[in-house]
Formats: sequence, C-alpha cells, structure tokens
Amino acid sequence: MEYVLHIMILVAIYSILSMSLDVIIGYAGIPALGHAAFALLGAYTSSLLALNFNMTPWLGMFLGAIISSILGAIVAYPSVKLKGDYLSLATLGLGIVVYVIAKKWVSLTRGPMGLSGIPTLSLWGHKISEEWQYCILVWFIAIMIYLLLRMLMRRPFGRVLKSIREDDIAAMSLGKNVNMFKLKIFLVGAFFAGLAGSLYAHYITFIDPSSFSVMKSITILLMVVLGGMGTLKGSVLGAFLIVVIPELLRFVGLPLHVAAPLRQMIYGLTLTLLVIYRPHGIMGKCRWN
Amino acid sequence: MQLLLNSIISSCVILHIGLSFSIIYYSTRFFHLAHGAVYTVGAYTGLCVLNYFVSDSQIIPDTSTQICIYGASAFIAMIIAGIVGALIDRVFYKPLRKRKAPNFIFLLASFGIFIFLQNFIALIYGNQVQSLRIGPIREGYSLMGAVITPIQIFVIMSSMSIFVFLSIVIKYCKIGKAIRAVADSHISASIVGIDPEKIILFVFILGSALAGLSGVLVSLETNLEPSMGFGVLLKGIVAAIIGGIGSFPGVLLGALVIGVVENLAISFLPSGCEDAIVLVILVLFLMFRPQGILGKREERAG
Repeated sequence: MEYVLHIMILVAIYSILSMSLDVIIGYAGIPALGHAAFALLGAYTSSLLALNFNMTPWLGMFLGAIISSILGAIVAYPSVKLKGDYLSLATLGLGIVVYVIAKKWVSLTRGPMGLSGIPTLSLWGHKISEEWQYCILVWFIAIMIYLLLRMLMRRPFGRVLKSIREDDIAAMSLGKNVNMFKLKIFLVGAFFAGLAGSLYAHYITFIDPSSFSVMKSITILLMVVLGGMGTLKGSVLGAFLIVVIPELLRFVGLPLHVAAPLRQMIYGLTLTLLVIYRPHGIMGKCRWN
Repeated sequence: MQLLLNSIISSCVILHIGLSFSIIYYSTRFFHLAHGAVYTVGAYTGLCVLNYFVSDSQIIPDTSTQICIYGASAFIAMIIAGIVGALIDRVFYKPLRKRKAPNFIFLLASFGIFIFLQNFIALIYGNQVQSLRIGPIREGYSLMGAVITPIQIFVIMSSMSIFVFLSIVIKYCKIGKAIRAVADSHISASIVGIDPEKIILFVFILGSALAGLSGVLVSLETNLEPSMGFGVLLKGIVAAIIGGIGSFPGVLLGALVIGVVENLAISFLPSGCEDAIVLVILVLFLMFRPQGILGKREERAG
C-alpha cells in the first residue's frame, strides 16, 4: 500500500512538472528543452534554506519557486529572439549549464554527493510523516495548480498564448507584445517547476544533481507530448503513464542493468514515434506546434 | 606548448564530428542529434570487430598487423555507421519530411532516436568504460617539449584530409553541386532534375560514415562508453554554429575556438567547467550572431 501511495505522490509531483512545461511548449508553442533545470533550482534553494537556515519548508518552497522564475526570465531572454530548433538548442544548453553548475559548485550544493536529511513539510506544527498524508497534500497542491493554470489559460492571457503558438508574427501584427507574453509564460512555467522540485526534495529528503539531469527534462517532455501538448489534463495523464508503466515493468523482474537502459530506450523510441505519427499525443488537440 | 598541442588535437576531434554533422545540417536544415549516437555506434562496432580478431588481452606486438586490424575495424565501423545513418533517415526522417514538419519536431525525433540508440548500446555492452587496444602501450613522440601519440597525429591528419576532401567535393564535383542545390531548395533542385531524396540519402551515408570513423579514432585514443556521443556531438554542433552554418572553413574556425577554450578551461578551471563554458558561448552566439562567424546561410522567411 505504501508503494502505491509513493507512486501516486510521484505522479502528482510529475503532473505539476509536466503541466508547467505544457504551458510553455503546448500553449505558447515555445519549444523549451531543459525544463528540469527549473525544478533543480527550486529543489536546491528550498533544501539549502531549510538545511542551513532552518527555514520552514513552505517558505523555502515559495522562495525556491521565485528563484526558479528568475532563472525562467534569464532563459526567456534569448528564447524570444530565436526560432525553432535554435531555441531548443539554446534552452537545452542553458539547462545543461545549470546542471553542471549544480554538480561542480560543491561548496554550495555538495555536488554529486547531494543534500540529505532535508526536512519534510509540516502542517500547523505537525510533521507530515505518513505516506498517505503526504499523498493527500501533494494531490491537493497539484489540483490547485491545475485549476489555477486552467483558469489562466482560459483568460485572455491564455488565448494570446495560443495565438502566439499558431503564428507569432500575426500576433505581433495585432499589437500584442509577444516578447512580454513569452517572458511571462516562462516565469509561470518555471515557478511551478521550481515548486514541484521543492516538493520532490522535501518528500524524498535527498537530492543530487542527477535527479534533474537532461534525461529528466526529456522525460518531462515525453509526458507532455504523450499526454497531449496544449492540454493540462493530457499532461497529468502523461505523467501518470510515464511514472506508472515502468513501475509495472519492474514486476517483470528484469535485472537492473537490463531494465535501466531498456526503460530509456522505450522513452526514446516512444518520443520519436509519437512525434512522427501522433504528435498531438493522447488527448491533444493541436497537430504541429 | 602541451596546451597548444592539446588544443589542436581537441579541435581536430571536434572538427571531425563537426564536419560530418555540418554536411547533414547543410543539406537537410535540421539538427540531426542522432548523429552522436551514430558516432557511438561506429566506436562500438570498432570494438566489436577488434574483439573478433583479437581475444581479450592478447597483445599484438607487430605494428603492421596492428594497423591492418585497426584499419579493418575503422572500415567496417564506417560501413555500419553509414547504414545506420541511412536507416535513420529513411525510417524516421523521410515521413517527417513528407509532412513538412517544423524543425523542432525533427529535433525531438532525433533526440528520441539518440536516446534509443545510446541505451541500446548500453544494453548490449553495459555501461562501464571499455577500451580499444591491441598493441602495447606506447609512449608518445616528443615534439618541442610536448608529447603526442601516433593516434593523435592520425586524428589530426584525418580531420584535415576530410576537411579538404569535403571542401573540394562540395565546390567542384558534380555531386557536390547537387548537394548545394538541394541545400538551397528542394523544389528547385527537383526542377532541374536532381532527386533530393537521393542526395539526402547520400549525405546521410557520407556524414554517418565519417561519424563512425570519428568514433573509432577517438576511442583508440580515449576509452569508450555509451554516453560518449553526447558531449562530442554537442561540441561539434557548437563549433558548427559559431563557425558558421553552411561553410566548412567556418566549422574549422569554430572547432579551433572551441578546442582552445576547452583546453584553457581544463587547465585553469576546476574539471567539468569546460562543458558549461562551451555552452554559454553557444548561447551567446545564438543570441547575438546566429549565423556564426563565417556563416553565409540566410534564414528563409517563414
């Protein structure tokens, strides 16, 4: 039972991550790779604040998310000028830079040794130590974020984003400050990614840079693409499938040195085939972005 | 002096893969990330062939036999790499080209293939580092106070000759002109009777075979591991972009810059920083001069 709850908690956290990426890629049509860097920043910020300054995790999470959005703004700056694959390359590059910094700046982040003993969240003085309590909490947060983002996307802001996705030059010609919108959506996406990263850190109580590697970015991307770009429900579905299905494979009992590469192979192949034959994923509406 | 030499060697390695990547990008206008995986395939094919001829730790002292075996493995690696590259194009990219997919989609598909292939190799050969050696370990030659090994000399010669070869072919040979025509516009090329698909296939085979060769050469010098492709490819891409897409001298220039920067960073900064610095340079170039230093390719409107 604990195992199932653990999986559900991970699904919730990854749902937040994939929703936060979907608003950038699916709704605004900005092909941003390297999303895990935002989660990394949020996770490390709140963990370091909690470990070194005894800050309460809630405040740490919030600050972590803010710092992630600052990174989002930094990433957005070159992104608004670049097109298509150059943009992807630049965002991927920046994501790797963040990862390398996290790995190498050992005096701050303890590098590959990671941070351990991260305090868990507590609610009104009562530490959340049971799996089921955490599960309810993260799902509550995830649902709140879902509703928030859904509302945001239905407002004029969201509509402009979709118009930018379809044709950003047309949107500009209609007088919309496209660069400002792109910047804002990066802020939003990065904020929630940072939040998700912190949730992850305070749950697992241990993080190291490899939890947020390039592969992680690709995994989140796969969740978005599989579930359907441009639909929040799709992102949640994608997160669910990508987390759950490899766990099912675990019961097949393959040895680890076979299972790990096999899993990545499936991710890679799925991404490629999806993108070729069903780019709108399971629940998506748009064809190409 | 050693620093200078190391820079040149790094530059040549980057040049090797940068050129093969560049010719594919030039013709097809998208980033064939799976190229890095083809490189790895080439390297591991070389390993496979070597293991076939030479059982595990047998040392063959005879230099000419060594060269024959190395040569054979390089040759077979090139063939296999070329085939793999062609297959990737036919099976995955051609359907996307037919549907006129945006470049980002090609990039994602390419990334997926890269991950698939890299892990496929990890599955077969395991994640640990392997080495490719059948001769006794030799001291390098001394050259003005720095050390250089025969393999490194060969890498330099090889990358230079490929550079010259490709430049000549592109400029003067009939197939080179066809490649340029297709690179400019698929439709115009087909109007004058060139089949873009055939040319693209040719480019993929050529580029992938060269990547396979790079893989074998580098792994003779350094060890092999399944993730070797990513780092090298990234540097090759950076070199091609900052040097200028669409111009081989540009790739040369870019490779030199990256080689020097990389080695300076390794010498003076804590290890691992050089990757970050190279990437920052990439981002700066993409922001301020996306066509690179010597680039001629103008982005088409729309």
